[in-house]
Parts: sequence; C-alpha cells; structure tokens
Amino acid sequence: MAGGKKKGGAKSAVAAARGAVPGKGKPWGTIIAVLVVLVLAVGVFGYAFMQISEKNAAQAALAQWQPSDTNKDPSTKIAGVVVKDYKSGQHVQPTQRVAYDQSPPFGGPHDGFWADCDGIVYPNAVRSENMVHALEHGSVWIAYNPDKVKGADLDKLKLKVQGKQFMMLSPYPGLDKAVSLQSWGHQLKVDSAGDDRIDEFISALRTNQYEYPEVGASCDALGPGQFDPNNPPPFDPSKPGPDAVPMTGTGASAATNEQQPGGGTPPSTGTSATTSPSNPK
Amino acid sequence: MTDELDEVAEEELPTGPVSATTRVLVLAAAAVAILLLGAAVGLLINLPGSGASAGNPGPGSIEVGFAQDMGVHHQQAVTMANWARDHTQSPEIRQLAFDIQSTQLDQQGRMRGWLMLWGQPEQSPTGRYMAWMAGPSDGMAGMPGMNGNQMPANGVDHMPGYATNAEISKLQSMTGPDMDTYFLQLMLRHHLGGAPMAQFAADHSNVPAVRVLAENILKSQGAEVDLIKQMLTARNAQPLPMN
Repeated sequence: MAGGKKKGGAKSAVAAARGAVPGKGKPWGTIIAVLVVLVLAVGVFGYAFMQISEKNAAQAALAQWQPSDTNKDPSTKIAGVVVKDYKSGQHVQPTQRVAYDQSPPFGGPHDGFWADCDGIVYPNAVRSENMVHALEHGSVWIAYNPDKVKGADLDKLKLKVQGKQFMMLSPYPGLDKAVSLQSWGHQLKVDSAGDDRIDEFISALRTNQYEYPEVGASCDALGPGQFDPNNPPPFDPSKPGPDAVPMTGTGASAATNEQQPGGGTPPSTGTSATTSPSNPK
Repeated sequence: MTDELDEVAEEELPTGPVSATTRVLVLAAAAVAILLLGAAVGLLINLPGSGASAGNPGPGSIEVGFAQDMGVHHQQAVTMANWARDHTQSPEIRQLAFDIQSTQLDQQGRMRGWLMLWGQPEQSPTGRYMAWMAGPSDGMAGMPGMNGNQMPANGVDHMPGYATNAEISKLQSMTGPDMDTYFLQLMLRHHLGGAPMAQFAADHSNVPAVRVLAENILKSQGAEVDLIKQMLTARNAQPLPMN
C-alpha cells in the first residue's frame, strides 16, 4: 500500500507539518480545499468541453448539407427533393417558348439571356425561359404561390434572397404548393415558408460545383434589350403552343458563345436536331 | 483517491503519516486540477489552424471568413462595374469600370479557389457576415473588443459599403452622366466599406496568400478611392455616407 511506504519515508516533512496542523487526525481544511479546487477544475473543464461539443455539433449539422468531394449532392438526403438530368446549353430566342416538363421548370432548353440572379426579389412573375438559364449558372430560384404566401411568410423568403448572391425569388401563379425551390436538375416543393428544408436545399445546391453545368458563370443582368431586371419579360401562364420548343431541344440552338446569346442565327422552323452533340456539359 | 482518503481517515496517529499522505494528495490533486484547466484552456482557445482538417483553415477561421465575405463583397463590385462598363457613354468611366471589374473578378476567383481547396462553401452558411472579425476565441466570443473592435460573435447581416437591391436597381434605371455619378458614389462607398475586412485579414491571417491578397486589395483600392474622389469632384458630386 502506498500509505504504508510513505510512513517510513518523510520524517522531516512530518515534523514540519506537525507544527502547521496541530494534533488533528483528519485535516478537514485541507481535504475540503483540495476537493473545492478539484470540483472547480472539473467544472471549468466540463464547461469548455460542453462549449466545444455544442460548436462541433452545430458545425456538423451545417456541414451535413454542404457539398464535398465525398458528398457531392447532399440534397439527395432531403426528403422530397426531385432530381432530373437535363442537357445543358440549349438556347431559344426571346420570341420562342419551351414546352417544359415541370412546373416550375428546373432544366432544359432556355432563353439565351439569363435572368438576373444577384439576390434579386422579383415582384412579378418572370418568364420561365430566362429563369431556367439562371439555374444553369448555379443559382437557386425560390418560387411561391402568390395566393398562399404573403405578409410575414413572404418576408421570411425575402430574407433568404435579398442581397444574397445566386438567389432569386419570384411569384409563380398557379403553383401547386406554397413554395417551390429550383436549382439546375433539382426541385423541392414545400407547404410552408418556414420549412427547414428550404435552408438545407440552398446550402446543398447553390453554386454546388458538382451539380450545375456552368461553374463560374455570372448572375449579372445584361440590361435593356437583353434582360432588364427592372422590366423583365413576364411569365406566360398560357399553355405552350405546338410551335414551342420541346424538351429534347429540337428547334433550339446550341450555346456557342454566352456573349452572343441565341447563337446569332434564329432556328429555321421545320429543321430538327439543330442541337450539337458536342454541347458543353 | 477515495481509498487513500479513507486510509488517511483510518490513521489515528496525530503525527507524520497523515501529513505526508496529505501532502502527496494535495500535490496529486493540484496536478490533476492543472491538467484539467490546461485541457479546458486548450479546448477554448482557437489556436491558429485549429478546427481545420489536413492543415486547412476551417469554418469560422479568419481565412475562410475573409474569402467568403470578401468574395460576396467583390461580387457586387463586379456587378456594378459590369453594368457601368456596358451602359456608360464616358470613356473615363468605361476604363475605370473595366479595371475594377477585371481586377475584382480575378481576386474573387482566387478566393473561390481557396475555398474549393479548403472544402468550404462560397458563401457563409449562416447567412451572416464578418463573424470571423469578432475575435480569436469561439468559447469566449461573447466578449467584445478582444481585437479592439465591437464585432458581435455571430457577425452582422449587412456588410459596410454593400449596396441594397434598391440602390442597384436605381443604378440600372439611370442613364448618361447621372448613372456615371451614381456609379462613382456607390463604388467609392463600396471600396471604403470593404477596407476594414481587408485590413483585419492583412493584420491577423497566418496564411501568406490571404495576407498578400488582403494587402493588395487595400493598396489598389486605396489608389482607386483617390481617383474616384477626384472624378466625383469634377462632377460636382459628394460621396455617399457610409451605410
């Protein structure tokens, strides 16, 4: 036993201590002091440990929805996300319409001029053909049903968009749910502007380099005559006619140069397969 | 430990052994307490490079915060300069706008490249800005002024100099000399507002590339600030107050 050994050892220390602690068997003062110091130390350590654990947990919760090399598309773990594969780089003219397969659309042929996506809140519904092009540039488009989302709910959505780059917000008349989020090839429809999945979707897909076709593309508007954010082309609620460009892209032109949207030559009606197979993905 | 305390209690001798054992116990307890406190300090202090994997700056670090927030700040300068370059009638404005647009786009590309290599998102996931300027310690981040500033631990929702949507929209609705002047006013405020972020990174980052870029931003934008002030004076216009 340790105690036994020490007995023989420290005679001089004993003598010194005897003077300090006069004739008492149990040095309660010392024991209490030691215990208090230990409890304090444990308390400080416990506090620090809790702080770090909380911070790590918060970071892990955020990181869960951040794309990485090992988790390229975190949105696949969000309940309700629809993922579709669309061919990119197919442009139509400002006068043309696309017969989109989804409402709101989140991929497919689109206007050569992209919608402004510099954290912009559109008060009125915008032509889908322009909005889809902005998705191709890495933005997230929050569409809402103007009959269902108003007031404080709408403010909640605005807060996520206003001044936040690669974000757009616009009403979408006739939307089957309150809110619908789009990024290129991804969609999530939710019933409330307060749904937690909205932020998860944004975190997972906004400028997610693994999931949008044109990494590095701009959200800036080109201006009047091209895309004027102060006077954007309006949403067309009518059904696309038989002359609309189908999802296959027949009648669209390959995007050869983003500086000259539309490729310069309007597609001649009747010709098919004007899209080049060498479109950049 | 309790065994030893019990043993001490059992020793009825009022002499030596109790005191010797007590001394050992006190020393042992002191050692344990010191270790615990040391571990706590270690956990709380955000040592340079801590919270990082593979030596990369991690979330909340000065480097990641600077690259994310300055990236967003730069992006707006590029937007404004792009617009001015495309829509001005003035060769002088077009030249300045081209210079700002191309320089800041390049700088932004560097910052985005770092973030990509560090495995961090291009924009802060919290949606708030400049929290990385609050101080070095997350555990004690409630204390303001640790670096001589009053940045709240969770940052702010608006960066100085960053124009509102309404201001951008106004710029885009203007034409001619009016637009030129407003562009100069917005850009001057933008440059001045971004400077404290660059200064903080230049002063506090441990990553040379980050420091060098931050210092570069201060230098080149400092010269541009003087130029823009002259151009405003030539147009009989005043700078905007900081927002």
